[in-house]
Amino acid sequence: MPESLIYHFDLVSHLVWRDFVLRYKRSVLGIFWSVLSPLAQLLVLVFLFRIVIPLNIDGYPAFVFSALLPWTWFSSSIGSAGGLFIYNRDLMRRTHFEPSTMIAVNTLSNLIHYLMFLPLLLFILILYDRPMALSLLLFPLLLLIQGILTAGLSLIVATLNAFYRDVEHLAGMGLLLLFYLTPIFYQSQAIGKSYEWIYALNPVAVLVQGYRGIFFYGMAPDWNRLLGAAGMSLALLGIGYAVYRRWLPEIFDIL
Amino acid sequence: MTVALRAEAVSKWFKLERSRPSTLKESMIRYLSGRHSTDGILWALQDVSFSIEKGSTLGIIGHNGAGKSTLLRLLCGLGRPSAGCIHKTGQISGLLELGSGFHPEMTGRENIMTAGILNGLTRRQVLGLQDEIISFAELEEFVDLPLRTYSTGMYLRLSFSTAIHFDPDILMIDEVLAVGDSRFQQRCIDRLNAFRRMGKTLVLVSHSTDQIRSLCDEVMVLEQGRLITQADPERAIHCYDDVMRERTARRSGLISKCGAQLGSAMTRGNRLGTLEARIDSVEMVDDQGRSTDTLQSGSSITMRLGYRLVQPLSDLILLLGIYSETNVKCFETVVPSATEAFGSLGEKGYFRCHLPALPLLPGRYYIVVGLYPPDWSYVYDYHWQTHVLYVESSLGPSPHVSGVICMHPTWSSVSKEEWGRGFAIEGSGFGENI
Repeated sequence: MPESLIYHFDLVSHLVWRDFVLRYKRSVLGIFWSVLSPLAQLLVLVFLFRIVIPLNIDGYPAFVFSALLPWTWFSSSIGSAGGLFIYNRDLMRRTHFEPSTMIAVNTLSNLIHYLMFLPLLLFILILYDRPMALSLLLFPLLLLIQGILTAGLSLIVATLNAFYRDVEHLAGMGLLLLFYLTPIFYQSQAIGKSYEWIYALNPVAVLVQGYRGIFFYGMAPDWNRLLGAAGMSLALLGIGYAVYRRWLPEIFDIL
Repeated sequence: MTVALRAEAVSKWFKLERSRPSTLKESMIRYLSGRHSTDGILWALQDVSFSIEKGSTLGIIGHNGAGKSTLLRLLCGLGRPSAGCIHKTGQISGLLELGSGFHPEMTGRENIMTAGILNGLTRRQVLGLQDEIISFAELEEFVDLPLRTYSTGMYLRLSFSTAIHFDPDILMIDEVLAVGDSRFQQRCIDRLNAFRRMGKTLVLVSHSTDQIRSLCDEVMVLEQGRLITQADPERAIHCYDDVMRERTARRSGLISKCGAQLGSAMTRGNRLGTLEARIDSVEMVDDQGRSTDTLQSGSSITMRLGYRLVQPLSDLILLLGIYSETNVKCFETVVPSATEAFGSLGEKGYFRCHLPALPLLPGRYYIVVGLYPPDWSYVYDYHWQTHVLYVESSLGPSPHVSGVICMHPTWSSVSKEEWGRGFAIEGSGFGENI
């Protein structure tokens, strides 16, 4: 058992490392590209909602950034999930290789990008004089729930996309809509009581609020909602795994 | 001996892709309009059963599209059979595509690590094997350069060396042994032999009959998804040659019209086919009605073939041939449709073939008989060099004639002048002109 644990650790860590290295091979700026793109997004949002349409939120850059980073993790994972099975034929044809490993690798590889931003996020938080509280210790828990959610959805997208390429586009559109339905650049209260059910049904919104809570407000998350989101994430992972198990043999046939 | 791998009635079919909906919209339209039927089914494997003993080497030969790669992929656990099942004991590793998992931007060393980990080894285990892999591939100087800078030969050497060093219990190799120069190939084969000596099981798909001969204990012949025979290498390769010959002759429409030579000499009787229809007996009857295996040159002969249909068949092709001891086809005849020629066939019965004269030189001959489905797509039953026919002559064997046909030559001598006066017209003389 420890042997297989070591093996799986080696497998996933090696593939994550490989994915990471390959992404920036042969580009001059290399890793900086991954830093630049969320920063550009941050600048756009700050420009829009501080100057063009002021939302009057204190410490707005820190406010946005604390939610934008987990969103980027989620959206880039789901966005690239569609191609995982269909564009990695050589991996799919390895005897020992369990294709769902690629889901884990993709999720973790995007997580690393998130974690790389933590020093910058902390710097901005300090810059805007935000409180550092013990609630920060809940960060790994939020990561875990989001990891489960992302992996479950990725499994569904990757599996179905092998049969219908529409799924990829559908996922892209879904992400676009979800970006606006999630309180990333605005406050969750802004939406009004009558629409709050949207957040209750949207585990990403709960998670994003959770991150913002611990980083920006120094508060523990709403436990009931977090529990609900965790339940939904686990259910999605279960569904995703069932879908994957059911259709995997046929994916081998059509690849 | 324990069984390492057993396949029971494994079949695999694919829906023909021609009109598989590629978008959700198409699929919806199709569903709503009620046209969700399939265009047809491609049988990649049909009812294949076999087993491999632990420690033995099985070769699989067959034409392109015979189902070899599909079978290997199923054995490796990629996809599942449409029907039947596969039992395996021990860890299987498949070398189905060379260099799969390799990335051109990574260095040789990094790719070895990737391949090793993908093959089920931990990082530490790969590091332990690394030097051996590099020296086997003879790439010591290049191993830290990106793979894209490698020549094709270097690339193949690295991928083969990598694959062959991660010793699994059962190794499957799909037509990838034709790598590198002959010296490197020999080292690959030595390595595989060492693998066999360790008591491990090897499954090898190859087009090279030499490799099959030198490596395999047993060989399977696949033809159009069916297992035609599983036998020792020599016999299986002969079957394969035979199927190949049939196929080639068929394709060029030359079967039985021209004396296609057999590929190689057969030394013992042979039989192949699915035995859905079978020939149970072959009897030769002389002009006095006696059953015999010895005939006078020039006399008449009747051959009686006892057949049996294991399952009802609408039609079949019947083939009968006479081959010399040295595998020269003397004569072959085909009945392209037995029902057209004889009416519907009973479950059991006889086919009779009468040859009014047998103009063969004295010697030993073989009667070859075969039953095929109407499209020649595979073989029901084929007996090759099983039934011996002796031809004698009342004059006794002559050291002065050779060949297969008895021609009764008459010789004479003619002078040059006589030839010039027109003796040649008679056609009875032959002038030696120096």
